[in-house]
Amino acid sequence: MTSRLPSVTITGIGSVSPHGPLAGLIPSAPLEPTVISAWTTPGPRRAFLVPPFRPADVVPGVKTRRLDRLSVWALVASSLAIKDAGIDLNQVDRSRVAVVFATAFGCVELTEAFYLSAAANGWNGTDPITFPETLASAPTSHVAMFHQLRGPNITVSNKYFSGESAMIQAASLLRHGQADLAIVLAGDALARTLYSWYEEANLLSPACLNSDPVPEAGGFIPSEGVAALVMESSTRPSTRSYARINSSRWSSGGQPAGGISQMLGSSMPSFIICSGNGAPCATSPTAALAREIAGDGAIVVEPKSLAQGLAGTGALFHLILGLSSKPGSQPIGKEALFLATARDNGFAAMLLELP
Amino acid sequence: MFEFLTHSRLPPLTDPHKTIVVTGVGVVSPYGIGLDSMQAGMLSGKSCLEPAKDDVYPGFTGTIAQVRALPPLEEYSNPQYSRTDQLAVMAAQDAMASSGCDRSALLDAGIVMASTLGGLTEIDTSIAKDPAAWYRRPGGLLRAASYPFAHVADAVGEHFGIRGPRCAISVACASGAMAIALAANMLLDGAAPIVLAGGCDPLCPFTVSGFNSLQALDPNPCTPFDQNRKGLNLGEGSAVLILETLAAATARNANVLAVLRGWAMTNDAFHPTAPQKEGSGLADCIRLSMEMAEVTGDDIGYVNAHGTGTPLNDSAEAQAYETAFRGRKLPIPISSTKSYFGHCLGAAGALEAAITIMAIRAGALIPTLRLATPIETPAVDWLRGEVKRQPLPLAMSASSGFGGSNTVLIFESGQA
Repeated sequence: MTSRLPSVTITGIGSVSPHGPLAGLIPSAPLEPTVISAWTTPGPRRAFLVPPFRPADVVPGVKTRRLDRLSVWALVASSLAIKDAGIDLNQVDRSRVAVVFATAFGCVELTEAFYLSAAANGWNGTDPITFPETLASAPTSHVAMFHQLRGPNITVSNKYFSGESAMIQAASLLRHGQADLAIVLAGDALARTLYSWYEEANLLSPACLNSDPVPEAGGFIPSEGVAALVMESSTRPSTRSYARINSSRWSSGGQPAGGISQMLGSSMPSFIICSGNGAPCATSPTAALAREIAGDGAIVVEPKSLAQGLAGTGALFHLILGLSSKPGSQPIGKEALFLATARDNGFAAMLLELP
Repeated sequence: MFEFLTHSRLPPLTDPHKTIVVTGVGVVSPYGIGLDSMQAGMLSGKSCLEPAKDDVYPGFTGTIAQVRALPPLEEYSNPQYSRTDQLAVMAAQDAMASSGCDRSALLDAGIVMASTLGGLTEIDTSIAKDPAAWYRRPGGLLRAASYPFAHVADAVGEHFGIRGPRCAISVACASGAMAIALAANMLLDGAAPIVLAGGCDPLCPFTVSGFNSLQALDPNPCTPFDQNRKGLNLGEGSAVLILETLAAATARNANVLAVLRGWAMTNDAFHPTAPQKEGSGLADCIRLSMEMAEVTGDDIGYVNAHGTGTPLNDSAEAQAYETAFRGRKLPIPISSTKSYFGHCLGAAGALEAAITIMAIRAGALIPTLRLATPIETPAVDWLRGEVKRQPLPLAMSASSGFGGSNTVLIFESGQA
């Protein structure tokens, strides 16, 4: 079923990615995976890693001691998105601001640390300060605490469409008057247990193991980071719009092409941003479906390798990277389709209106 | 049927396409499977809390409530299912049975399932020391696949072949209630014709150890809202509601168990574990839910409280009720049903929604067990002693959690 309700606008973007912390669009500079040094690996292992930075250098006053990196990045990305949107939170009713965060694995680093403390000291000797920071919802609540945001505070996940799910839930809150503004975040942090899982399951690209960054011959290069969007139900005066979400549809199965065509109605976007997670088979079917829907003349932005390695939470990065690569020279019309598919015929689609 | 749902004292519900109703309730609790077993146990005053006897991990001797009599697991034998998934699938099956919905009617249903644990039940401490070796164990990779909390929603969807929009949420102890609120939003959006929503969490060394380390556990059966309360007990379970619009329920001649008249979500924005001392976030949430429901504090007949039994939660929560129900003609009847089978974390809000619906349907105000000296709060009638029998057209369920999340649901009887 399609949600075609009053539109909401994306007015701010922030991110912490392998490009570092950034406000606004992400430049399309090429990026190579870097060698993992945070834990011992059986040989050189590579991934798209967030470079170390001091959060307080980016967000003055932010305190991040003993937080999971995922919580730290959520704080920084949300601050950058709010700044990018030109919002002065002192002029906003903070009880009307929602935070919706999507994550596949939550605070996996501190979860590892908690297990390690249990292994070392027994279950009766675990660390009380670490425990609450292991919750998947910890980053969401830290964002609320730091910015004093007292609206709905939600942590969501979906195997393939976590980021899209967060955007759709946030849009729903805005449309139903349960919030006036929403900070939407999605991301994950790489940790030893996660990387090892990918490796043992033979999901990694050869580029993760070899110094020569071969184009992906199957498998994926894990990535990490958090992307943030500011979404608003009504546009403030002189507010920039990155895109308006006019309708959406998502499903865990069925007939994607039919469902998406139904959502589009008479709209025929010629610019399609594809999202997709790291599974090797996830990329090309999405682009193929995009061409099936919009025809060969459409400009299809394939899922970017930087965000492919974020399991299900890469959607916001895919959207930001797609908007960043919007062609300046070719006419693409005002409408765009943001599209993701899954192996089981699941899909998430949003009809966007570009400025 | 639409008029049938409208109680004379309450503002009429005007749009069947915007009225959310509950047409199925599924429960797995320490009382067993089904709302009936829980109702029989609770109305008879039976507590499921008992000494742990090393059940959770060696050396833990606190008080817990366990789901012991799981049915034969043949139906749930997917090797990728964690215990969390099993609880979720069982509750969903019970909800489908209670609704009279067959699987074909649920083909395009939405699913919103909540859990704080996901597949942590399947993982032990050795994974942190040598993850590669852990994954190489027989079934290691399969068990790891259940780790993300999204898997709980997938387990329900894949088990029953449901292919509508699907997501999981994890919002600490408000999770189960928030899943229901988000499901209601999905129905208003028209994102799905019908939604299964609820929460599930089993007992697990990870969480028991965590709450133990925080010194949040009462070693004895808990005493929520008592001046001498010492902490919470952990339990386990799962509850799933089937939600749809009144228009859809009417079209398929479904039995309406209750109307979800109002819901709201807020955050304290105060502390990672402690609630805001005056309970302002929860009080705001109660106010917003009553505004959505177009009712006043005088209309609410009963509140199923979060009521964990921890000193900080219960005093803040009592303050929230004092604020939200100030000016009410009579003190508001409130109880904590965590005194019966403990705090089931991500399942708690969904189980308590089911209990609230059960209270409405049975016309029963369920007391808090072992409540000897209640917190002094003039606006509150702390229910204790015997079950009070009286008509209950409208009742509220309140949930809060670590990180300051609050969710309030208001249910109305499906029968005038």
